[in-house]
Amino acid sequence: MSWKRILRRGNWDKERANELQSRLELGADQNISRGMCEEEARFAANRKLGNTLQIREEIYRMNSIGFLETVWQDVKYGVRSFASKPGFTIFAISVLATGIAATTSIFSLANAVLLPALPYKNADRLVMVWEDASYYGFQRDTPAPGNFISWKTQNHVFEDMAAMSGASFNLTGDGPPEQIVGNPVTANFFSVLGVGPFLGRDFQEGEDHPDVNRVAIVTYGLWLRRFGGDPQVIGRQILPTDRNYTVIGVMPKGFKFAESDVDVWVPMGMSEKTKINHDSHYLQVVARLRPGVTVGEATANLETIAAQLSKQLPESNEHVGAFAMPLRDFLVGKLREAILALLGAVAFVLLIACANVANLLLARASGRQREMALRMTLGAGRWRIIRQVLTESILLSAVAGGIGLLLSVWSVGLLTELVPNVLPDATIPGINGGVLAFTLGVSLATAILFGIVPALRVSRLDLNKSLKTGTGRGSVGAGSSRTRDFLVALEFALAIILFAGAGLMIRSFLALRGQDAGFRPDNIIVFRTPLPRPRYADQTKSSAFFDQVLARIQSLPGVVSVGCASWVPLTNFGGATGVFLEGQTPPPPGQAAIVKISNVRLVNDKYLQTLSVPLKQGRWLDERDDAQATPVAIVNQTAANQIWPGKNPLGLRFKLGTATSKNPWVTVVGIAGDMHQSALARPPRPEIYFPYSQQIGSGYDPSYLIVKTAGDSSQLVQAIRKQVWAVDKEQPVAGGFPLSDLLDDELAPRRTQANLFGIFAGLALVLAAMGIYAVLSFAVTQRTQEIGIRMALGAQSGNVMRMVFGEGLKMMAAGIAVGLICAIGLTRVVSHLLFGVAPLDPVTFVGVPIILAAVGLAACWIPARRATRVDPMFALRYE
Amino acid sequence: MAKRGAAPLQGEVLQGTLDLLILQTLITGPAHGHTIAHAIEKRSEAVLQVEHGSLYPALHRIEDRGWIASFWGTSENNRKARYYRLTPKGRKQLTHQTNRWDQLVHAINRVLRPASE
Repeated sequence: MSWKRILRRGNWDKERANELQSRLELGADQNISRGMCEEEARFAANRKLGNTLQIREEIYRMNSIGFLETVWQDVKYGVRSFASKPGFTIFAISVLATGIAATTSIFSLANAVLLPALPYKNADRLVMVWEDASYYGFQRDTPAPGNFISWKTQNHVFEDMAAMSGASFNLTGDGPPEQIVGNPVTANFFSVLGVGPFLGRDFQEGEDHPDVNRVAIVTYGLWLRRFGGDPQVIGRQILPTDRNYTVIGVMPKGFKFAESDVDVWVPMGMSEKTKINHDSHYLQVVARLRPGVTVGEATANLETIAAQLSKQLPESNEHVGAFAMPLRDFLVGKLREAILALLGAVAFVLLIACANVANLLLARASGRQREMALRMTLGAGRWRIIRQVLTESILLSAVAGGIGLLLSVWSVGLLTELVPNVLPDATIPGINGGVLAFTLGVSLATAILFGIVPALRVSRLDLNKSLKTGTGRGSVGAGSSRTRDFLVALEFALAIILFAGAGLMIRSFLALRGQDAGFRPDNIIVFRTPLPRPRYADQTKSSAFFDQVLARIQSLPGVVSVGCASWVPLTNFGGATGVFLEGQTPPPPGQAAIVKISNVRLVNDKYLQTLSVPLKQGRWLDERDDAQATPVAIVNQTAANQIWPGKNPLGLRFKLGTATSKNPWVTVVGIAGDMHQSALARPPRPEIYFPYSQQIGSGYDPSYLIVKTAGDSSQLVQAIRKQVWAVDKEQPVAGGFPLSDLLDDELAPRRTQANLFGIFAGLALVLAAMGIYAVLSFAVTQRTQEIGIRMALGAQSGNVMRMVFGEGLKMMAAGIAVGLICAIGLTRVVSHLLFGVAPLDPVTFVGVPIILAAVGLAACWIPARRATRVDPMFALRYE
Repeated sequence: MAKRGAAPLQGEVLQGTLDLLILQTLITGPAHGHTIAHAIEKRSEAVLQVEHGSLYPALHRIEDRGWIASFWGTSENNRKARYYRLTPKGRKQLTHQTNRWDQLVHAINRVLRPASE
């Protein structure tokens, strides 16, 4: 019905016009009959009826869906008025689009990494459980199997607990031998996660035993790559170099847990001996909380059990606590803080963009004063005017939002680098419904944010004054210019905060990059070739293998030197064991047996030299240190300081393990420089290097090869692999990448963060500069006449310059001062993300305001110069 | 005119009341806008002044509800004029609204003059 009314209202209006006309004539007739002359009669009738147009309008309005229609009117009008000022429009839209694009991109990152449920069943109830061995230098230690079993049997907070360890498997057969990473897991592993194989079946409890036939579940990726996606893979035997495993299942596409490159899971099959081993810490434990149990409650329960254990088994468990952490915290780690900081940064960019556009609109509004005043005189209500101005703002931000969305579709790909690869594949940032809704919301919010001030300002016009000022160019209300100054100051304050944050991030990145890793990665290629356990369980065999391989590689032309080690720097955080010093009093029974802990690395005699690690004291390892010679080791500076405090360890003896261990005494023959083995951002840990030839430290067998080449190393990769295969044709050789890649991997997330912060700060700077430029230019234009008068009265161009600069300086100084104070408060928030830089880094906090002020003054210079060029005669004639 | 009785109540006529007055005026037969306004003013002894600014929108509104219908006719002095007449629906509405009005007036009076009861 109402639509019919709208469509027919044209006719209706005509009818009404006729009716009112006839009514006028009737009235006039009557007046004539009362004795008025015709003209008087018509006039009186007109007066009686009043404004017929207004009556018709009212009826017309009754036939419309008022709100929608005026919105459509406003939109059309807005489009026309923006189209007539393309410069302003393009500028405003690009400023907003930049802000919205930045915000959308970072939000899509947060949306992918922080918000969605992890792809496990009731993932919010999954926790990782760790040992707290802070006493020994490991705040978050991988649990020992004995502890895992104790927790699992004694706790009352978990529905179930599963454990996982790492292993590598050699896959041979069709094609070259391939090394794949696998996770031996307890049989309940997949059921704890609540995800089952999409093909085949899950492990059964009976299969989790050391003496039964082995079964395996493979990833979707391996299934496609190695078995061509053949469903008949179930029941096939794989991993023939080790033991035979029968494939029983294939996990769904994209499934991964905690480690990115895993391709196979096999039952752990803990032996009875393993189940009571509280000394070797190598498990990762995931548990499912009972419904309603919090992580805190779980930790409290674990602590109780750990406290009992440390009483019962002080030799292994004294000072060993336990705690649970949400799975997401484990997987996302520090990225959470980084993303929140970035979100804050883009919010600032967006706010600055809003302030900028608000300023432009304010300037535009003062040019439209007469238009608005006229509208209001003709009866437009205040709310109506506000609505019109806001509609225009929304129009701007809608277009900007669309463009911003397109930009972020493109830019979001750049953020993928920030996502740690242990996260499930679903967490790759992208544009989805949530992001779209966010962009829409942000666009609307920005529109209101930047539109409301101009809208209120316009709607509060003094009609008399506005209509009287002839050209709309006379004096600007002090209030209006105060608002603009405030917005510019705000922009500067926000820019300072952002810039300070970016400065700290960039300085952290530079500090980390400039950090001396303790080794030189130049021209070194890394290979990984772990020897399969049953075949090389005997250390003489693995020793012989490396003797041959190293000799063969060394003989290749172009090879400068070759080394091998249990782990090369930046590949393993742990690999530590207790040491007992000769002459040390053994702890009385019933106390922690281990008081000193060190990383252990088995290396060849050229390993440290190949990495260009400096020798501080004593001698390097050499060929004489063979199986028959006295056992020797090299320690790093940190080990020398921490394990032998106040002593020179050269010539002193120690053994691995506790006072009662059967390990031989080893003499320290050299002290090497420190390397950042675990991470660049972490301090070096104590390290002891044993020659693998002496076969001490079983379980730490070398698995990495490093080859230093004379020139371009890429040619040699294949030749080196062939040398390994010449010794054992079934031995896989992974890697073959430059050692510097490991450093780059360390730096990459921080580089991306620093870059992003830098980009956002740069945007903020440009926007703030444009803001001050626009406001001053506008002020100069508005005051052309005043400046002209001043100059006519004898003001020099220097005075005018000073006047304009002074105004700009006032805004900047206020903004910078407020911004600095806020920045000092806010940088504490990002202090976790910093490295090697204090949150109140003087370089940042002095440098940033200077840069900002310099750019700001440059932006003032153009309008100031323009002011000096005002021709007094022209300005005076201006009106 | 106003001298005779109370001062005219301009613009104070409740919106629903104007509708009721229009319907009541039309009970005697079709009339055009001018007559309707005139009749209301006359019968109320000029206490109720009908503004044309509200009369025509009111006519439009009532017609839209189907209580009155309109047609073009010729006025007493041979002018074309738009006439309104009551529809059966409007007649029902008039009875209904008059009852409601009586109830309302009665109720208000009981509040205002409890002593006279």
